[in-house]
Amino acid sequence: MIFAQIFDTINNGLLVIDRDMKVNYWNRWMAMHSGIAADEIVGSSLFSHFPELDQPHFRRNCKSVLQFGNFCYFSQRLHKYLFPMPAPGSLADSFSHMQQSCSMGPLRNANNEVEMLYISVQDVTEVVSYQKKLVAMSNTDQLTGAYNRNYMESHLIREIERSRRYNHGLSLLMIDVDLFKVINDSYGHPCGDYALKTICQRITATIRKSDSLIRYGGDEFCIIMPETTKKDAYKVAHTIRKSICDHPFTFADMTFNTTISIGVANLDQDTDDVESMLKKADEALYTAKQSGRNTVT
Amino acid sequence: MNSAEHIFSTEEKDILQEVMNIAFGQATAELAEVIDIFVILSVPNIKVVKGRDLPNYFINEMDGSNVVNLIEQNFLGKFSGQALLIFPSGAEKELIKLFNQENAEQSYNVDMDTLEQETLVEVGNILIGACIGKITELLSDFVTYDPPRLMIQDLSQSTPAQFPVDEDSFAISIRTVFRFEQQNVEGYLFLITKQRSIQWLKKALQTFLESFM
Repeated sequence: MIFAQIFDTINNGLLVIDRDMKVNYWNRWMAMHSGIAADEIVGSSLFSHFPELDQPHFRRNCKSVLQFGNFCYFSQRLHKYLFPMPAPGSLADSFSHMQQSCSMGPLRNANNEVEMLYISVQDVTEVVSYQKKLVAMSNTDQLTGAYNRNYMESHLIREIERSRRYNHGLSLLMIDVDLFKVINDSYGHPCGDYALKTICQRITATIRKSDSLIRYGGDEFCIIMPETTKKDAYKVAHTIRKSICDHPFTFADMTFNTTISIGVANLDQDTDDVESMLKKADEALYTAKQSGRNTVT
Repeated sequence: MNSAEHIFSTEEKDILQEVMNIAFGQATAELAEVIDIFVILSVPNIKVVKGRDLPNYFINEMDGSNVVNLIEQNFLGKFSGQALLIFPSGAEKELIKLFNQENAEQSYNVDMDTLEQETLVEVGNILIGACIGKITELLSDFVTYDPPRLMIQDLSQSTPAQFPVDEDSFAISIRTVFRFEQQNVEGYLFLITKQRSIQWLKKALQTFLESFM
């Protein structure tokens, strides 16, 4: 009697189904979030309301509960959700469905035989949203919104592996703002920050979605360009260089021009890991600087 | 190890062996029905081992594959303890073909590591549940389980302290090798019972024997 009260008031979804997959109990939480009232669903097959659950994987888990008295777990990481329901409140903007962590277990009768099974549904959308934000933050440079160095290492390793496996091109651009110190010294640091942000915006407008812009250091940037040959990488590098030097920068009342130098490296037989690619791009950048800046090497 | 060997009398060991044989025979049949896969469980081998000797014992039993996927799950009832299911590393790729075909096809947005880990946990959960469920059923007990945990371990590197089994506990190690008929995957299942379950187990074995007399 006391436990029965918990069933409807607990802040979790709870349902009980029998061996024929018929719903026997459906708590208020499930009714509220699914929009299906208890008297609508109790007595009918779970699959008639949720045909997407009628999968070998779900049936297998139900069987193992009914047969062996197992407990089964449906993690959010793999399944995202079991029951398609709208994400709650303000999280509806970022998630198409409520993210759920579900578990399933046996219910025994007086003779200890498994007669039914219960499923509990926990809403973990908020936790997943925090996780996503944390991952994004740990990969992003706060000032420019570009990726940070932390992200670069792992991403470049992945891209190198992928390009090698499929024998596709991979290019890396190393970019340095020419005489950036002069901007900071003459116009102040806020103006320097503005310049870095604007440079990133102009670069992002030029590159593809699949390319990643990384803030490598103070005024140094990298671009990882998958599926890109040497020739194409030079073409893009020149477009980027022009997008910076062709248009003046305006901050408060000040208007100034700046330029960038770019070093290009490609994945090839001698340059086949993170270290050698970065080294090659760095050397090319140094040559570009030596040959008078605002150039691509 | 000698004192550990004497926890059970020869007769008790024989009954235990018999219970395991019947339980695993039933588990095999029912697993085929539940997961549509024929699992071959070898005749279980029973040994009493001290907790601190387990890592070495596992290395010996596992034919030298040191890096393993270890799925640990606690079970609680009158018969309580830990189930350890061990797959040599690499087995997860084969298991996905058997178990998670539909997820592998659908969830292009789930990375491979997650899929492999979740598959190991699911397979572990079902196999452990099937074996323990049948043993406890024969001994008129039923158990509940904690969620399974997956650990990737290099057995040769684990010190007893890192190993998820209490050093001073006696472990009744019930070892079975199972093979999936369609795929060449082998795994090992060890059941480590808590010491306080031993008294209960002795009594339950006796009751089991009497039921045939």
